[in-house]
Formats: sequence, structure tokens, C-alpha cells
Amino acid sequence: MPNRLWILVKGELQRLNKYNMTSVSILVAFIWGVMLFFVNADILATLLPIVILLDATMMSLMYVGSVMYFEKSEFTISTMLVTPVSNSELLLSKLLANTVHNIFSSALLIAVFVLIKDVQIHYFLITIGIIVATLTHTLIGIVMAYFSKDFTGALMIVMTFSLTMMTPYTLLMLNIIQGEFWEIILLLNPIQAASEIINAGFVGFQITYKYYLSLGYLVFGSIILYIFYALPKFQDYAVKNSGV
Amino acid sequence: MFKVENLKYSYPKGESDVINDISFDIAKGEIFGFLGPSGAGKSTTQKIMIKILENFEGTIYYNGKDITEFSDEFYEDIGVSFEMPIHFSKMTAMENIDFFLKLYKNKGDIEALMRRVDLWEDRDKMVGEYSKGMKIRLNIVRAMLNNPNMLFLDEPTNGLDPMNAMILKDMVREFKEAGGTVFITSHIMSDIDQICDRVAFIVEGKIIEMDTPRNLKIKYGKRSMTLEYKENGETVTVEFPLDGIGKNEEFLNLLQTKKIETLHSGETTLEDIFIKVTGVQLKDAE
Ligand SMILES: Nc1ncnc2c1ncn2[C@@H]1O[C@H](COP(=O)(O)OP(=O)(O)O)[C@@H](O)[C@H]1O
Ligand SMILES: [Mg+2]
Repeated sequence: MPNRLWILVKGELQRLNKYNMTSVSILVAFIWGVMLFFVNADILATLLPIVILLDATMMSLMYVGSVMYFEKSEFTISTMLVTPVSNSELLLSKLLANTVHNIFSSALLIAVFVLIKDVQIHYFLITIGIIVATLTHTLIGIVMAYFSKDFTGALMIVMTFSLTMMTPYTLLMLNIIQGEFWEIILLLNPIQAASEIINAGFVGFQITYKYYLSLGYLVFGSIILYIFYALPKFQDYAVKNSGV
Repeated sequence: MFKVENLKYSYPKGESDVINDISFDIAKGEIFGFLGPSGAGKSTTQKIMIKILENFEGTIYYNGKDITEFSDEFYEDIGVSFEMPIHFSKMTAMENIDFFLKLYKNKGDIEALMRRVDLWEDRDKMVGEYSKGMKIRLNIVRAMLNNPNMLFLDEPTNGLDPMNAMILKDMVREFKEAGGTVFITSHIMSDIDQICDRVAFIVEGKIIEMDTPRNLKIKYGKRSMTLEYKENGETVTVEFPLDGIGKNEEFLNLLQTKKIETLHSGETTLEDIFIKVTGVQLKDAE
């Protein structure tokens, strides 16, 4: 019943707003914006894709982590379990709402810099890049919430993941690691793959097979993670955090 | 309506059975009380019956059909209130209720329910600003908003003042009169003694006794008469067996010659019976 999914998504978005997550993400976008505003055009060209990448990946993990933490602390998930809503509707609505919400700040940044700094982008490719990267990382964030016991726990997992994944990304970017072999292997890192598809949205980026590899990996990886892990484990997670 | 057969359950990480082979059934239109001390397994049983906990042993039927065969449509039919009130604290009461109401096909009369628990005037307040009692009352509205056929109420009177507890009990009674069936738990016997058609005593995951409150009182009640009278400025208490009291010389003599202060038949409370039957004190430390 898609109608019910829509009600759930609307509810989640309404709550993100009520719980001030929306204000936080606007604030973060604003801070990024101010930071980028004062750098010169050359640095902006390198920095903007990185900021968009961080926003779509690490920030997505953080946001969804906090949202699920709020939810756990209020035990509202148990009430959801005793409504006619199915687990897949619940999980999907959470994924969609948080993705929409997390895309919002990236979109805001892009829009601002296109307008005021004349950044050149491929609208279609950047849209695809941001949506896929955000969706994937929001899903990863949901799965991480399954494993975390409390807020500090959640933060630790997100931090560990981000550091572990950002390190090879940075090494590659700084040419400390080189060669096609590593470039391909490291695409297994979702942040690396996300970087590939987000960079493709900026004019001047060479699209190679690595782009399609990354896109396919993130899309199918997410589908597999959703079907074979996130959904089957949802009931367990919900019951464990129902608090009653 | 509900039939539980040889139910056993242990939590994934717990070693021993929290629910240890219990069986009971609840007839349509009945208020079934599940009474026992904290930790007895009341909430666990409710969570199994409402399909939150899976992997139990035994069979549970709802309207003759195994509950594991029901889809989520099962929840159109039932209303649940958990032990602690659960709401989105940063939303108003009405926003909470409206959100949940949209998820059901059946929609109850929210205004009537909210007025009944005296929350209508405060409907636009944030739930976070509600008092504990108000949250509990809102919980009842949430449980009943889909006009369910069956209600599951886990310790619904816990934390309510006597007046609101009375309103709640009236609501449960009216729900039954309108054809509803109720599963209600409590660790405070006196609380739901008067409204239950039948009660089960549960201790450490086992049902020790199950009957109507009246039958239990007849079966276990003390048949006696207690008399208090004044003598030399002091109160003296004496107890007489109820059988043959009309011919009990000593009793009749006291009635005629002493200044009687109180006279009680040995009406035993369900709580006394519980202690007698199970050997377990009910009131917990909280
Ligand atoms: N999530 C859980 N994991 C492990 N043990 C639990 C859990 N919830 C309850 N228990 C244990 O199960 C027993 C029954 O608990 P419960 O059903 O909540 O009792 P009641 O509602 O009668 O107070 C208790 O010993 C409790 O410690
Ligand atoms: Mg309990």
C-alpha cells in the first residue's frame, strides 16, 4: 500500500523537523558554505566535490545515526510494531525520509555555489551521484544503528568506519597509493566509490569504466544489503529497542 | 477468542525459560486479568500474544487461527498499551494521535476518547510537557484509536491517581459491554480485581491458579467474622468462624453486652488469596 508508505515518510520527515535535525543540517550546510565562500576558485574546484562527498557520506551516517538514537531513546519503535505497518514499509520509509533529508544540504550547497561562484556541473550526473551516495550511506548508517547500544557506541562506530574508509581515500588522493590495481580495489570502499560518482558531476571529470563500476557497486550493494541484512534484522533491532 | 497452548519462551540471551509452559484461553467479551509480581512474565506473555516476540514454543490461536499465520493486518483488530507510555515527545498529543490514526483502516472517535480521559483541552500541548498521568491516559487513547476488537493493557493503572484509574476501569468495562475482549495485567491485585471476569495468577512464568475472582474468594477466602469492642478503654479484637455464627453463644453475648466498634465479615482480598496460593508477596520494592 504505497499510500501508507507515503504517510510514514511524511511522518519521518515531520519528526526530523520537530527534532531539529533539519535546522542542524541547514546549519552544517551554512558552515560549509561560509568556509568555501572565502577560498579562491582553484581550491574551490577541488574542495567543493570533497565537501559534497563528506556531506553525502559521513554526514549521512551521522544524521541517520542520531535520528535512530532519538528513536531508541523514546522507544517509539514498539508502538510502530503494533500497527498494521509492515517491517519493510517501516524500514523503507526510514531509508527514504532520511535520504531525502540528507540530500537536502548537499543540494543547497550545490545550488548556492552554482549561483554565486559559477561552478560548472552536470545536473543529471551530480543528481545521480548525490542520490546514490546518500542512499547507500544512509542505509549503512541504519545498519550501524543495529549494532550500537548507545549514542557513544553509535558515534564510535561511525567514527571508526569513517576514519577507516577515509584513510585509503586520502592516500589515493594524495598519490601516496598509486596504480590502477589499487584504484580498482579501493572502489570497494563505499566512500571511494561515492567519490567517483560524485566527481563525475563536476565538469572536467573523465568518466571511465570506474564510474560504472562504482555506480553498479553502490546500487547493487545497497539492494543486497537491504534485502539480505537490513530487512531481515529489522525485527530483532526493533524488539531489542522497544524498551517494553 | 484467544487460546494459548503450552507456551514456553526464553529470551535470546537468557538461559532459563521466562515463560514455563502456560495455557489459558480468553473468551470473546471477557476481561481476563493476568496477575503476578514484577518479573513474573506478564509483559513477556503480552509481547508474545501481540506478535512482537517470535520463536516461542507452543501455539497461540486468535479466532481459531494460529497467530503466526496472520499478517500485519492482525493489528487492525487489536489495541495495545505497553507498560510505559510511549509517544513522540516533541510532538503534540494530537499530532501523535493523528499520525497513528492514519495507519489504520478503522478509525475511532478521537474527540470522544480524548474528552473521556480529559485530555481534549490539552491536545495541542507537546507530549514532552505532559505529566506522567497524562502520558498514561494518552497511551490508552492510542491503544483504542482504531476501535479494536481486543485490547491488551500492560499495567494500565500503574501510575494513575485513583480518580483516573477509576475512569480507566470504566472505559475498560464499557469496552467490554460493547463486545470487546480485554487482556489486562497488573501487579496490584486490588486495582483490577473488580473488573476482571477471570484472573490467572502467574509466578515465575507459571500459572498457579486461574478462576473468577468470586470463585477464588469462595475457595480460598477466610469464612470468619471479626469483631472489635471496647473494654476498660482498650480495643479488643476477636474472630469467629462464619459457619453457625447465629448460634455462637460467645459471639451473641458480646453483641449484646459490649460496645461494638467494628464488625467485619472476613472478606478476603484477591491479594490475600494470591499470597496464600503462591506464597509470594505481591508488592514490589519500587
Ligand atoms: N529483553 C529481555 N531480555 C532478557 N530477559 C528479559 C527481557 N525482558 C524481560 N526479561 C526477564 O523476563 C522475566 C519476565 O519479565 P516480564 O515479562 O517483564 O515480567 P513482568 O511483566 O511480569 O514484570 C524477568 O525475569 C525479566 O528479567
Ligand atoms: Mg511487566
